[in-house]
Amino acid sequence: MAHITLVEAVNLALTRAMADDPEVVVMGEDVGRDGGVFRATIGLLDKFGPQRVIDTPLAENLIAGMAIGMAAEGLRPVCEIQFSGFAYATIDQILNHAGRMRHRTRGRLSCPMVLRTPCGAGIHPPEHHSESPDAMFAHIPGIRVVYPSSPKRAYGLLLAAIRNPDPVVFLEPTRLYRLFKEDVVDNGEALALDTCFTLREGTDITLVTWGAMVHETLQVADELGEQGIVAEVIDLATLKPVDFDTVLASVAKTGRCVVVTEAPRHCSIASEIAATLAEHGLLSLFAPVQRVTAPDAVVPLSRLEHRYLPGKPQILAAVKKALEFA
Amino acid sequence: MTVAATFQIEYLQFLDPNGKVVAPLPAFAKDPVALLPLYRAMVLMRTYDAKAIALQRTGQIGTYASILGKEAVEAGIGAAMAADDVLFCTYRENGVQMMRGVTMQELLLYWGGDERGSDFAGPRRDFPTCITIASQCLHAVGVAYAIKLRRQPRVAVCMLGDGATSKGDFYESLNAAGVWQLPVVFAVTNNQWAISVPRAAQSAARTLAQKAIAAGITGVQVDGNDVIAVHHAMREALARARLGGGPTLIEAVTYRLSDHTTADDASRYRTAEELAEAWKHEPILRLRNYLSASNSWDKAQEEILLRHCNDQVQAAAQAFQDMPAPPPEQMFDHLYATLPAAYAAQRAAILAAAADHGPHHAG
Amino acid sequence: MRIFKLPDLGEGLQEAEIVKWHVKAGDEVALDQPLVSVETAKAIVDIPAPYAGKIVKLYGSEHDVAHVGQPLIAFEGGADSDTGTVVGRVEIGHKVIAEAPAAATPLAHGIKAMPAIRALARRLDIDLAMVTPTGADGLITANDVQRAARILAAIGPQELLRGVRKVMAQSMTLAHAEVASATLMDDADINAWTTGTSVMLRLIRALVAACRAEPSLNAWYDSQAPGRRLLKNVDLGIAVDTPDGLLVPVLRNVEKRAPEELKIALAKLVQDTRDRKVPPEDLRANTITLSNYGSIAGRYASPIVLPPTVAIAGAGRIGKEVVAVDDKPVVHRMLPLSLTFDHRAVTGGEAGRFLAAMMADLQRPD
Repeated sequence: MAHITLVEAVNLALTRAMADDPEVVVMGEDVGRDGGVFRATIGLLDKFGPQRVIDTPLAENLIAGMAIGMAAEGLRPVCEIQFSGFAYATIDQILNHAGRMRHRTRGRLSCPMVLRTPCGAGIHPPEHHSESPDAMFAHIPGIRVVYPSSPKRAYGLLLAAIRNPDPVVFLEPTRLYRLFKEDVVDNGEALALDTCFTLREGTDITLVTWGAMVHETLQVADELGEQGIVAEVIDLATLKPVDFDTVLASVAKTGRCVVVTEAPRHCSIASEIAATLAEHGLLSLFAPVQRVTAPDAVVPLSRLEHRYLPGKPQILAAVKKALEFA
Repeated sequence: MTVAATFQIEYLQFLDPNGKVVAPLPAFAKDPVALLPLYRAMVLMRTYDAKAIALQRTGQIGTYASILGKEAVEAGIGAAMAADDVLFCTYRENGVQMMRGVTMQELLLYWGGDERGSDFAGPRRDFPTCITIASQCLHAVGVAYAIKLRRQPRVAVCMLGDGATSKGDFYESLNAAGVWQLPVVFAVTNNQWAISVPRAAQSAARTLAQKAIAAGITGVQVDGNDVIAVHHAMREALARARLGGGPTLIEAVTYRLSDHTTADDASRYRTAEELAEAWKHEPILRLRNYLSASNSWDKAQEEILLRHCNDQVQAAAQAFQDMPAPPPEQMFDHLYATLPAAYAAQRAAILAAAADHGPHHAG
Repeated sequence: MRIFKLPDLGEGLQEAEIVKWHVKAGDEVALDQPLVSVETAKAIVDIPAPYAGKIVKLYGSEHDVAHVGQPLIAFEGGADSDTGTVVGRVEIGHKVIAEAPAAATPLAHGIKAMPAIRALARRLDIDLAMVTPTGADGLITANDVQRAARILAAIGPQELLRGVRKVMAQSMTLAHAEVASATLMDDADINAWTTGTSVMLRLIRALVAACRAEPSLNAWYDSQAPGRRLLKNVDLGIAVDTPDGLLVPVLRNVEKRAPEELKIALAKLVQDTRDRKVPPEDLRANTITLSNYGSIAGRYASPIVLPPTVAIAGAGRIGKEVVAVDDKPVVHRMLPLSLTFDHRAVTGGEAGRFLAAMMADLQRPD
């Protein structure tokens, strides 16, 4: 048992997976000698050697593409894309090949790979380091997209992703990497994919969120509690496929829903949830589904980052709107 | 002045366009009879190719990319590979795929628009036809890495075209293969055309083989219409890789005697004269001339071979045409190892719609 | 012209026999439509159309031998046979479209309620049209629905109109929407009437006289054309009050019938009406209407003209009034008269003359 941060939980899961299964290999830029620029892979090179912990040349297409080849041969590659802005370069390989290899060959070849990347805003970095590629990856058929929000869930979901027979894009919330600690037991137990985690139970309103925004959303739920409003908080965790059963059951109970994401509004996963609630949960709703999102603007440089990212005021305003609607 | 580096690229040719021997033959080619399997393979793949075009013209399959003119590249490479080597290829390598054990029926299924054509019964580890240009190079690097990690004597053979050598994926692959000394052979078919863009507009490099130099690996150029040269270069490259000597880039120089695809009309961008001139260098005629001249092949044998190839191709075409249409749920099968519950409703809807329209609705 | 040549059918064959043409010159064919069946050494093969188009000419007849690479069919148009792609088939159509600008539809003024609220209203059997919204922008809230439910529970259930009352509601709505009504009122001095005079018979006689004097008010008006029919016979609709509601049975051809006959017919009609024995054909197609509302109460009225008729005469309560005779006040028995007419078909002058004629007849001693 240890109090560890989210990034340490990632490291713990990688270490665990590599120890348990000799087919697991880790690759990316600076993941070996340097232990990863965020130290997600620290210690792995010493434990498992340079053949399984690979410092690749500077080439994102290569990282994603060779993972596909490795996976076809039965290795379990976990590749790291150093920053979210560089993840887009991998979409060609993930969409055109990783998500299709099993389908294209009728199961003859498959692609059990994991692509991890730190994403989301809030660490005041230079340009391209604050991206939310959630929806772009979630739109791709044949893959899974997973986005943990706590050290425990990072550990359990990463183990699940590595053991999954299909490609998983594992998005890590940079802002939460070291923000808080949690007790994580290194028991090698995976958490379930394709399922939501209900972090708070409530009756008055459903708050659906994922990634770093879980942090603010839980704080909002606590504040609402003090006002006598009991909010149910759901962490989506798997963005593709989404566990809509849990969300729909919650909204059937509360009748009101706010979806919180730090990604831009248009075609966000929040839109997918709102659409599904309209399709399958319409008669439960007392108010329209509220989406709290970033605006459809280019992510500004760090000076304006705090104006761009949604935060507690925006979540509270949406909750108020939903509660007071009718 | 100090010279930091120099390079040279070897060019290999053993038979000239007339089939005359112009360099000492490698051991495997010393006896012409030993070349007969290569010749037969080339004729079979050309027969298949003509049939595929005819099937497209009569609406039996969709767009098809012909291999006319590159039979020596196909046969030379296919014959050199070991069974458990791994092939990566474009859409213009049906010949190599046939030599690897992919059936003509499987190939026609693929061109006919059915994923079952890529579920090869034969070479289970070969990658399927890759449409996106040069992306298969990265996959080959991954497979080669796995092979090396496990210390297996296998080689990844990655085939690509002249146009593909302009892509970032290609350079990234060569670079990685070089830095890690991976057991991979990159075999570039330079057929002079990337759809309508001629070789001269594709790169300022004098040869495509010399792109190997930039990656620190071996590069060699061969006459792609000379099956002996192709086969020889391939055998050397495979041996090098198997012995831990690292990757090789082979540039096989040939000519695309067909249109880019059956939907293309090459007369839009190249002259009939150029095409006619290219036919004079074609690989099957060249080898046949050599074999005839060395009394290893005659008209009677040619007729028997043609009949045999026709029969084989016809049978494969018939088997393809007799295959029932894919069931609609094929769309969702093998999407994941196990279809997530979230998509069960969509799968059911596709099945229900198909039931409404009848089992073999063409739409 | 675009020439489509016999394609290479494989197997090294250079020719094929035309077995059957499936098209002829002048035909419009679609992409992939079978054009011709040809026979090679072993098989009969269908050749599909490589593009959509109009056939201009066929090269060769059935049983002719066609050669690979030689012209097979000529299509209309197109200098070249550019497929316009290198993969798949991009269908070429020749239709020219001209999009008409979409008409702007006005904003719907519907009832605004969330689906959950609509479901609630359905469960409580509340008509949302009856609910006053208190939410922002006219939104009906759950509270609004529940308030309406409480009110209606206190009031009791609604009676749905049926039968005669329902017909009255519907026809009065239509009449009100259509008719341009105007009313003239006056009093007839009936002091000279002998005792025992039947009011209804005198009223009927007066109406007939008025119809003779001013036929415009015994007519049917058609608002569509617009047009009117002046009717020769006077089929008089009599307003009858029954326990079920207002009915208007019709006395046919009153202008032809003797007073004795009318008296009997009228009495029978009223009784039959109250007994609901009047057949449907006798409840319609009247040419003018008479309402003797004065038999219950009321002096003057502006009763409703029911299309296609254009006039309705109303008789009020007979009473003693002080009137001027030879400049001196006297007490006479007076019969108040109201004449409502459809001003689309009847002028004020015509109505006035009609009324005057009625009054003249009513004011005769017998």
